[in-house]
Amino acid sequence: MMRLKKFIRLTSAVALFAFAGAAQAEPYLAAQMGLKCVQCHVNPTGGGMRTVFGNAFAQTQMAAKRIGSEEDLWTGQVMKFLSVGGNARANYSFTDVPNQSSTNDFAVEEARAYLDFGVIPNRLSVYIDQRFAPGNSTNLEANIRYWISENSVYVKAGRMYQPFGYRLEDDNAFVRQLSGINMQAPDEGVEIGFEKGSWSTQVALSNGTSGAPEIDDGKQIVARTEYVGSAWRLGVSAVSNDTDAGDRFGAGLFGGFRLGTVTLLGEIDYIDDDSIGAEGRKLMASLVEADWKMRQGHNLKLTYEWLEPDDDVDEDEQTRTSFVYEWSPIQFIQLRGGVRLYDGIPQNDLQNRTQAFLQLHGFF
Amino acid sequence: MTTPLDKLLAWKGFLVFSSMLALAGCAGDGAGLDANGRPLPPAPPPNNDFQEIQDTIFTARCVGCHSGANAPQGLRLDPGNSYALLVNVASAEVPGLLRVSPGNPNASYLVQKIEGTAAVGVRMPADGPPYLSLDRIDLVRRWISAGAPIASAPSDTLVVASTIPAAAETAAAGLGKLTVVFNTNVDSSLVNANTFALRDAADQPVALAAVRVPTARQNVVELITVLPLSAGSYQLSVHGDGPAPLASEAGHVLDGDADGKPGGDTFIPFDVNAGAAR
Repeated sequence: MMRLKKFIRLTSAVALFAFAGAAQAEPYLAAQMGLKCVQCHVNPTGGGMRTVFGNAFAQTQMAAKRIGSEEDLWTGQVMKFLSVGGNARANYSFTDVPNQSSTNDFAVEEARAYLDFGVIPNRLSVYIDQRFAPGNSTNLEANIRYWISENSVYVKAGRMYQPFGYRLEDDNAFVRQLSGINMQAPDEGVEIGFEKGSWSTQVALSNGTSGAPEIDDGKQIVARTEYVGSAWRLGVSAVSNDTDAGDRFGAGLFGGFRLGTVTLLGEIDYIDDDSIGAEGRKLMASLVEADWKMRQGHNLKLTYEWLEPDDDVDEDEQTRTSFVYEWSPIQFIQLRGGVRLYDGIPQNDLQNRTQAFLQLHGFF
Repeated sequence: MTTPLDKLLAWKGFLVFSSMLALAGCAGDGAGLDANGRPLPPAPPPNNDFQEIQDTIFTARCVGCHSGANAPQGLRLDPGNSYALLVNVASAEVPGLLRVSPGNPNASYLVQKIEGTAAVGVRMPADGPPYLSLDRIDLVRRWISAGAPIASAPSDTLVVASTIPAAAETAAAGLGKLTVVFNTNVDSSLVNANTFALRDAADQPVALAAVRVPTARQNVVELITVLPLSAGSYQLSVHGDGPAPLASEAGHVLDGDADGKPGGDTFIPFDVNAGAAR
């Protein structure tokens, strides 16, 4: 017990003094801190359950104020071989679509729980990510992860999110919609990862059906590699999916850097999809994001996105501009409010909608 | 703690962000696309029937009488005026019938007149026989059945084709409606008192009760004066310059000065007599 307390104190101290800045499970935080995804998440490609470090980080650096005693620091480890975590997001949103009556509603965006059975500490884990709301209970990830070489090479098999570009919290981002690889569409297969020095690399082979039953012999290969520096990072992604409906190939470039209290992220993706329509389509999307850490617990996020749904068709592009303010008053609570402005072709009202939202985000 | 260096770097960050935005794309204007952002189907093949009707019937047989300010029943059949005064326009002799009812040749008064089945008046052409040959009548019927299209293909320019009264023409006293006919359909949202103006000889604006695009005649604009015009000189102007110039449905700005380029104004001077027009 004393050793655990000592570890917690040490982890907190590292979080406090070695990485002065805010923290939450989004890529801009990694770019802000100069960290790899694996530093804060048990999943080396990011998202989902947080590590002991990630939990300590969230409590000591993410919130404007931490309440509770030092002994109450949550690590996620409820038993020696079992860690738990979760995310819940409750929204109030307002949507205005031209030529339609505006709508507003309360909704649960997501309620998810994570379980990580570390049957051989730092070597072998069984991981489960289950979504309980909205709708029926759905398994999003269920996989076995084995570190062949401790903290450097792993193999993962089962149902998992695929590694492509940035793993954004916002699955509606154009770059995530375009690639079809996001946290709503896990796939089943195997992934090998390399976490050596400043490099983070993953290669995955999967059915290419976004979790649906396999219906042909073709498979999807996704690869992602990223160089992570202390103040900047740059990575590339590629995906190739061989299906009876048509082949799908994609590539992306992503990067980020920190300039004082501002962190900038960018991603641009290209998809050549022969499975759409009779002649196939070439699509592109880009994301530019600026996060301004105004002070601890306060972040202003500006995002501009661009979507080219068919490179062979002119004047069909869409954009989405977002202004989001994120406030973390205490640990494990985040209040988010923002506006998203969609701009598309004038004959499509939905492509020109405006959304405003307030979100209460709880996590652990 | 935020240091001055941090603040400086933050501003640089926003400058870099702005530069990145400049490199990002903009939303499309949707030209030529349907509501799903897919290309519209190709336009139907050109229909030149009306031009043939104009050349072989109206100009060849009709404009001897049906032209000028005193055209019978107010129906001018000279090029530039004929379409605007036929299609979806009520007959002066039988107001319950349209001169040309697109898609319905049997209910078009023009067909009844050239076939000699009209209940009122004489068969046209009035100097017949000979009247129009069967193939010419069939041409008119075919054109109306096809929806009475105006021209072969959408134009990539917008120009004033003709006006009533015409430039330098002397109109009869009591004129209360001016008609401007364009070579293609106009954007009705741009038809207003800013793009159409009427001034008198003292260069004073003449009050207009309405500036409008008649129903189903998108290539025509009518100006209705508050009071009938008194005798004198006037100038009608159509503006292709200014912050919101007149443009076609396809978005082509008016080539008002006929220099082959968008922009410029068209001026139509005319007179109104105290007596009958000449």
